[in-house]
Amino acid sequence: MKKLTIFFAAVFGAALLLYYVSLALNRTEGYVGKNTLTVYNWGDYIDPALIKKFEKQTGIKVIYQTFDSNEAMMAKIAQGGATFDVAVPSEYAISKMKEDGLLIPLDHSKLPNLKYINPRFLNLSFDPGNRYSVPYFWGTVGIVYNPGMLGGKKITSWNDLWDPDLRNQILLVDGAREVIGMGLNSLHYSLNDTNKEHLKEAKEKLDRLVPNVKAIVGDEIKMLLANEEAAIGVVWSGDAAEIIAENDKLDYVVPKEGSNLWFDNMVIPKTAKNIEGAHKFINFMLDPKNAAQNAEYVGYSTPNKKALDYMPKEITEDKRFYPDFDSIGNLEVYKNLGKRMLAYYNELFLQFKMHRK
Amino acid sequence: MRSNHKWGKVYLAVVFVILYMPIVYLIYYSFNSGGTMHDFEGVTLDWYKEVLHDTRLWIIVLNTITIALLSSAISTILGVMGALAIYYVKSWRMKQILLMLNNVLIVSPDVIIGASFLILFTMIGIQLGFTSVLLSHIAFSVPIVVLMVLPKLQEMSSTLIDAARDLGANQWDVLTKVVLPYITPGIFAGFFMALTYSLDDFAVTFFVTGNGFSTLSVEIYSRARQGISLSINALSALLFLLTIALVIGYYFISQKSAVSGMGGRRR
Repeated sequence: MKKLTIFFAAVFGAALLLYYVSLALNRTEGYVGKNTLTVYNWGDYIDPALIKKFEKQTGIKVIYQTFDSNEAMMAKIAQGGATFDVAVPSEYAISKMKEDGLLIPLDHSKLPNLKYINPRFLNLSFDPGNRYSVPYFWGTVGIVYNPGMLGGKKITSWNDLWDPDLRNQILLVDGAREVIGMGLNSLHYSLNDTNKEHLKEAKEKLDRLVPNVKAIVGDEIKMLLANEEAAIGVVWSGDAAEIIAENDKLDYVVPKEGSNLWFDNMVIPKTAKNIEGAHKFINFMLDPKNAAQNAEYVGYSTPNKKALDYMPKEITEDKRFYPDFDSIGNLEVYKNLGKRMLAYYNELFLQFKMHRK
Repeated sequence: MRSNHKWGKVYLAVVFVILYMPIVYLIYYSFNSGGTMHDFEGVTLDWYKEVLHDTRLWIIVLNTITIALLSSAISTILGVMGALAIYYVKSWRMKQILLMLNNVLIVSPDVIIGASFLILFTMIGIQLGFTSVLLSHIAFSVPIVVLMVLPKLQEMSSTLIDAARDLGANQWDVLTKVVLPYITPGIFAGFFMALTYSLDDFAVTFFVTGNGFSTLSVEIYSRARQGISLSINALSALLFLLTIALVIGYYFISQKSAVSGMGGRRR
C-alpha cells in the first residue's frame, strides 16, 4: 500500500511539474493570452518566414494549424469548440460555408491591399463582391507527363490519355470532381454539368480509361511522379509546379478541351475570436511583396497583380502556370451543385474506382 | 529434434527482422543529409538539431507526457476501484454483464470513441484542448486497467481475506494490507499499459485536440502530411528511444516488485 501511495504521489507530482513547465514555455513563447491568431491552412501552404515577419510587425503570435481536405476543415469549423481566426478553403467550400452561416463578412476598409488583386479574380460567382473571401492562390487542373518515358510523345488534350499505348501509365488524383470533370471535359461538356445522361456518358468513357490507370492516389502523387514511377499524372497546377521543381524532365499542360480553374481563398470563419488580427493578417498577405515571397515559396500562382512585378520573369512568364486566359478557351470554376448532385458525382466516382480492369 | 529447434530460431529472427525493419529504415534515413527517403548522401545530425530547436514541438512533447502520466494514474485508480467492484459482485450474471460492458469499450473502434467524445464535448460546451484530451484518455484507459487487475484478484485465494478477518482486520485493513499488496503487480501492469496506450493513441486524440493543443502522434501526422521532411524521421527516432526506455523501465520495476513480493511473503 505504501509503495502504491508513494508511486502515485510521484506520478502526480511529475505530471504537475511537467504541466507547469509547459505552461511556462507557452507563456514565454507567447502562445497564451488574447494576442494570438490561429491560422487554419493547408499543409505547407505558406512561407514560414512570412509568419515570423507578421509576428514581428504586429506583435501577434500566430498559431498555425493545418488540414488536408476542405471537408475536414468544414467539419471542424462547423463543430465549433476550437478557435480558428483565418481559414483557407477552396471556392466550392466557400459557397457551402456561406450557406451554412459559417463565415463572418469581411470589413473591406481594413483591407486596403485588396486593390492589388487582379480584377479578373474578384467578384466571382461563388462570392459576389468578395463579401466573405479574398483570393489566396489560384490554378488549374492539368496533366503532368514525362516525355522521356513516353518516347518523346507530347500530350496536349484529355483525349490523348485514352491512347492504348499508355497502358498502366497514368496516376489520377483522388478527387471526384476532378476525375469526373476530366471525363466531362473530354466529351466537351461543362464541368458543372448536371444532366445525368451526360454524366453517365462521361463515366462510361472513364471506364474505358481504366486499363491505362495505374493508381488513384492522394498527396503522394507528387513523390511518385517525381520518382518516375509513372509517366503521366492528373494533378492541380500547384502540385505540378512542385513536381517539376523536383524533377525538371517533366512537363505540365492544361488540356486544350478546357479544364477547371480553382481558387483557394482567405476567409474569417465564425469561430474567430481575434477578428481585428484576422483582418491584419489577410491584409498582410495581400501586400505585393509578401504575396510575391509566398508565391515563390509555395509555387502556386498568385492572384496579386502587383506581386508579379517582384517575382522572377521565368516564373511569371511561364505560360503553364500563368496562362493567357484568351488562349485557353474553356476554364471553368466549380459551382456548388448541391448535396444531391454532389452525392451523384461521388457515387459515379466510386463506381469508376471499383471498375475492374 | 535439434534441427527443429534451429528452424524455430530462424523463424523467430525473420519475424523480428520484418517487424523492426520499417523502424530501422526510418531511423537510418533520419541521418541522411540528402533530404529524401531514397538516396542516402551523407551522415548529418541537422534533422535532430531542427527538432531540438523547435519549441512548439517541445511543448507538445511535454503535453503528451503530462497527459499520459495524469490519465494513466487517474484511470489506474478508477480501474482498480472498478475491478474491486466487479470482484465483489455476488451474482454471476451481473458480473458477466459488467465485464462485457467493460470489454465492449476495449474492442470498439477508436474512431467511434473519438467521434462520440467530440460530439459529447461540443454538446456540453467543454472547449477542446487539455481537458478534453485528458478526459477521453482516462475513458479509454479505465477498461484496460480493469482487465489487467481483475485476473490478479481472481487468482487471490479467498482464504487470505478470511484469515485476515479472523485475525481482527476490519474492511479497510483487509483492502490496504491484504488485497492491494497482493494485486500490486497487476496495478503496475495496468498503469504501464494505460501509459503506452495514451502515449501513442492517435485516433481518439485526433478528434478531441484543438485550440493549438496537440499531442505528439497528432502533430507527427499533420507534419507528415505537409510533405517529406526528415525532421519527422528524427522525431520518430527519438520517440522510439523513449518507448524503449519505458519498456526497459517497466521491466526493471516488474522484476523488482516480483522479488520484493516474494520477500514479503516469506517473512
